[in-house]
Amino acid sequence: MTPFRDEEMPGRLFIVEGIDGSGKSTQLDLLHKWLVSQGYLVVFSEWNSSPIVKGTTKRGKKRHLLSPMSFSLIHAADFANRVHAQILPALYAGAIVLADRYTYTAFARDAVRNVSRTWVQGLYSFAVRPTVAFYFDVPLDESIRRISEGRPTFKYYEAGLDMGLADDAEESFRQYQGLIQKEYEQMIDEFALVRMDATEPLVTQQKKMRAIVQPHLEAVMRDPGGSIHEALREAGLNGRYIDEAISKRRDVQA
Amino acid sequence: MSRLKFFGEPPPGLEGEDFPGRLIVIEGTDGVGRSTHIALLKEWLEDRGFAVLDTGLTRSELAGPGIKRAKQGHTLDPFTLNLFYATDFWDRLERQIVPALRAGMVVLADRYVFSLIARAAVRGVALEWMENLYGFALVPDKVIYLDVDVENLLPRVLGGRGFDHWESGQDFLRGPDVYHTFVEYQTRLLFEFRYLASRHRFAVIDARRPIGEVFRSIRFEIDPIIATMGTEGAHPQPRRRPAKRRVAATP
Repeated sequence: MTPFRDEEMPGRLFIVEGIDGSGKSTQLDLLHKWLVSQGYLVVFSEWNSSPIVKGTTKRGKKRHLLSPMSFSLIHAADFANRVHAQILPALYAGAIVLADRYTYTAFARDAVRNVSRTWVQGLYSFAVRPTVAFYFDVPLDESIRRISEGRPTFKYYEAGLDMGLADDAEESFRQYQGLIQKEYEQMIDEFALVRMDATEPLVTQQKKMRAIVQPHLEAVMRDPGGSIHEALREAGLNGRYIDEAISKRRDVQA
Repeated sequence: MSRLKFFGEPPPGLEGEDFPGRLIVIEGTDGVGRSTHIALLKEWLEDRGFAVLDTGLTRSELAGPGIKRAKQGHTLDPFTLNLFYATDFWDRLERQIVPALRAGMVVLADRYVFSLIARAAVRGVALEWMENLYGFALVPDKVIYLDVDVENLLPRVLGGRGFDHWESGQDFLRGPDVYHTFVEYQTRLLFEFRYLASRHRFAVIDARRPIGEVFRSIRFEIDPIIATMGTEGAHPQPRRRPAKRRVAATP
């Protein structure tokens, strides 16, 4: 079974991958803001965020119910829901989709838990092949330094404590991230991931990212809404209720 | 003793183990009488001194509540639903079924991967994808398939819980009313079941007959499966039943 469905779609899919602390989410967020400012219609999808499945994942993590196989399956369920409810419709419509983590996260995490690679790739064969997949490469020490500054406690599954690598959470986290990193390195060639040097200045990384994305943006859907400021100026209004309306719309979307 | 045997690659943690229990699966469509016969079987087995574990779809601690919640809203694509069911299936396999088999119990499974494969097939999910997904499932010692036709199914469903949204295919079929989608859906589903029955050599039992007769046929199938239990030593021995009559190894 091929790891992706091969189908021509008018939309574009850009995804970021990398170990925790690689700065991938920061870069994707900057890309997101830039694309929106250019007037593109952008849909954002985050790992573990399906409204239907994430409650079960949370339950499994909280009660430590997840074994390597159930960890793999429940994340695939979450991903499947986002592909079908969010990613595919947007791509068929011709929009840009940005995903923070994609199938490669599952390939790496499941492989280090000894789940068969071919089985996992078959599981995810309904996924869309990304237009560009960025891999943020960072030395292990640097990523751990970044993480220990912001987040002093390590969560059970994030630190790979379910794998019994080490009793100490920080040591387990280090070993786990190291194993994940090895899996990513193997996938760079196999899946043509675009390697980004995550030790470079943030501005430099973003510049490179935009330059790579730019050529894929021709004929992609733009937000038809136009600028709200323009509309207000034209009608001579202050926009007293606009903030309220936007926050309501966000509630509905959430 | 028999060796844990899987449809595909053994999942991590369960490779090459021996177990003294037996896994017996009761398959069949909604309303065919599976739960009645499992209740009868459980008592019959316990009266003969066998410890029994019964299990069924959505009964896992991990994913059971989530699936039930998800099915209340009717917005699920078949992939998500299948992966949700697979999570539930694995959780029960790992934390209920395999421990019971290790302990030498008879496990009675109300539905198994075949129901899930049949349901997915009528919804257009590729068989190849489903069979890869359920490669981690244990090959049962026996699959009892309670066969029925739509004509005989209708009065049972009407006299029971009535037409169910999912069991009438209303998540993907359009028709003037639930009766018509039920007939359409069950006709297609039974076709898939019969295909799986021949492919995996189920013991096909005509469930249109009176309960007592059906139960007698089920006992006849199960007797030889449990006859050797307890007589096997601590060391693995070949099973008495010839291997060729076992359920096929690859789906």
